[in-house]
Amino acid sequence: MDKQVTLSSRFKILTVVLILIGVAALVTGAFTDSPRFWANLLLNNYYFLTVAIGATFWLAIQYVSGSGWSAGFLRIPMAMGTFIPVAAITMLPILFGAGHIYHWAHHDALLDPVIAHKAPYLNMPFFVARYILFFAAWILIALLLLRYSRKEDEKGGLDYFHKAQFLSKVYIFVLAVSFSLSAFDWIMSIDVHWFSTIFAVRNFAMAFFHGTVIVTLIVIILNKLGYLPFLNPSHLRDFSKYILVLSMIWTYMWFAQYILIWYANIPEETVYYLPRTKGEFKPFFYAELIINFLIPFIPLLSGKLGSRIKILVPICIALIIGQWIDLYQQIFPGTIHHFKIGFIEVGSFIGFLGLFSLVVGWSLSRTPLIPRRHPYLKECTEHQRV
Amino acid sequence: MSKINIIGVYSDEDVFADAVQKIKDSGIVIKNVFMPFPVHRVFHILGLETRLPVMTFIYGVIGVGITFAFLFWTSVVNYPLKFGGKPLNSLSFIIIMFVMTIFVATLLTFMTFFIRQKIGPGKKAVMIDPRSIDDKFLIVIGKDPSMKKEEIDRITSLIKQTGAEEINERPEPEDFKEEND
Repeated sequence: MDKQVTLSSRFKILTVVLILIGVAALVTGAFTDSPRFWANLLLNNYYFLTVAIGATFWLAIQYVSGSGWSAGFLRIPMAMGTFIPVAAITMLPILFGAGHIYHWAHHDALLDPVIAHKAPYLNMPFFVARYILFFAAWILIALLLLRYSRKEDEKGGLDYFHKAQFLSKVYIFVLAVSFSLSAFDWIMSIDVHWFSTIFAVRNFAMAFFHGTVIVTLIVIILNKLGYLPFLNPSHLRDFSKYILVLSMIWTYMWFAQYILIWYANIPEETVYYLPRTKGEFKPFFYAELIINFLIPFIPLLSGKLGSRIKILVPICIALIIGQWIDLYQQIFPGTIHHFKIGFIEVGSFIGFLGLFSLVVGWSLSRTPLIPRRHPYLKECTEHQRV
Repeated sequence: MSKINIIGVYSDEDVFADAVQKIKDSGIVIKNVFMPFPVHRVFHILGLETRLPVMTFIYGVIGVGITFAFLFWTSVVNYPLKFGGKPLNSLSFIIIMFVMTIFVATLLTFMTFFIRQKIGPGKKAVMIDPRSIDDKFLIVIGKDPSMKKEEIDRITSLIKQTGAEEINERPEPEDFKEEND
């Protein structure tokens, strides 16, 4: 039970190679097409940050709801939470290059009356302050949760479990405010004239959705590698239920935003969807909906299919691509204005994937994989559901 | 002709689940079980599975189909009226289709459940033992007239051994469904 993950040298070499590909792609971008460099930097940073945030939110939900079935897997979202400090560093260039991504950060932006009206919120010092504040809060809580769980391994008892439960409640409230504002800051302010009040909820649903998907995928991979031997179809079925429900929530939010703008037909609002639905981005508009909604929804309606690894893994992989398309649709039409996919996009995504895998793998190898004194661990290892 | 049942009454869910397992393992046919709340382990042991969700899915598909047909016929075929510059066959159908799917599926599922269970508003509840909706767990084993005395003794002693509080023998209520799923 106390097996610890050991990183094979093959895994380390592979992730380093992936990171090097990413660096090469970003360097190529920086010298040949600098707007794409900035857009990709933002996309990939935000992508893996939302995955880490979603996973830690999933962790908080497990604590708050007192779930027993997931007790043995909690170290995986905890390890994913350790990517948040890394993301805080890799995202730093965006603070310096904000003018390349955000129209409001240009020196002559205040000539625009709309931007001047929003200037009390969208200005560089406040932007940086929020960046620091949000990251500080997330890092503090994510690492504290990991620390409590480690202490629980040493000392046992219910003290640390109750502490973690309380902290999880705090985390949910903190995320509700901070993640919403960060989505406004980093993504919605790209299209600075446009706004949507459901934007934050939609992004939050995306983070939770894809964070859970990655947790599921890592659990399955670890099980295939011989860790987590107690994983059984009942656990997989519960994971697939999460994915099914979250795919519906994501679609609900996505559609709520779209249909209200489509129905009201106000030019200030429809300008956002014009390039996305009519222009070059049209194929991705439909691909986004099909991949993120229909692909998980239809097969997972049947709980039996959802408990099969052979069904669940392709769905998870499709959803990894789905989230990329989702973010591409949110970031690229506002920054690049043209549908461009090439080595820079694919390479930089691969690079960040390598970095994420390396960080998560490294933190998994630093702690025992199973929180052996978690009060609900027995419920997890013997979890059976009809 | 009324049938006689042997009814074992338990008051703890874990004892009850163990008892169901033991009685089933000894080859005795369990006719029915009654619980104040669902105990998943018992469903698992007895292999009880409901087909109701499949019907819900089918009703949902029917609901979405009928609603779309209705909307399409009214606003595209029979009375095409442009408003707001929107196309006739448009996204505005989706919300109505979504809500109607839930409505049709829920209502028909309830009706299916009521019909299958022969219950409904105003009907007096048919219960083998009213305490099964309070705090007692019941196991019901049919008493066949062809059963020998030893066999009946074996059943009753097994029920007693597994921790039953009392053992009753009662005729089956009229209008009582054997299969309860």
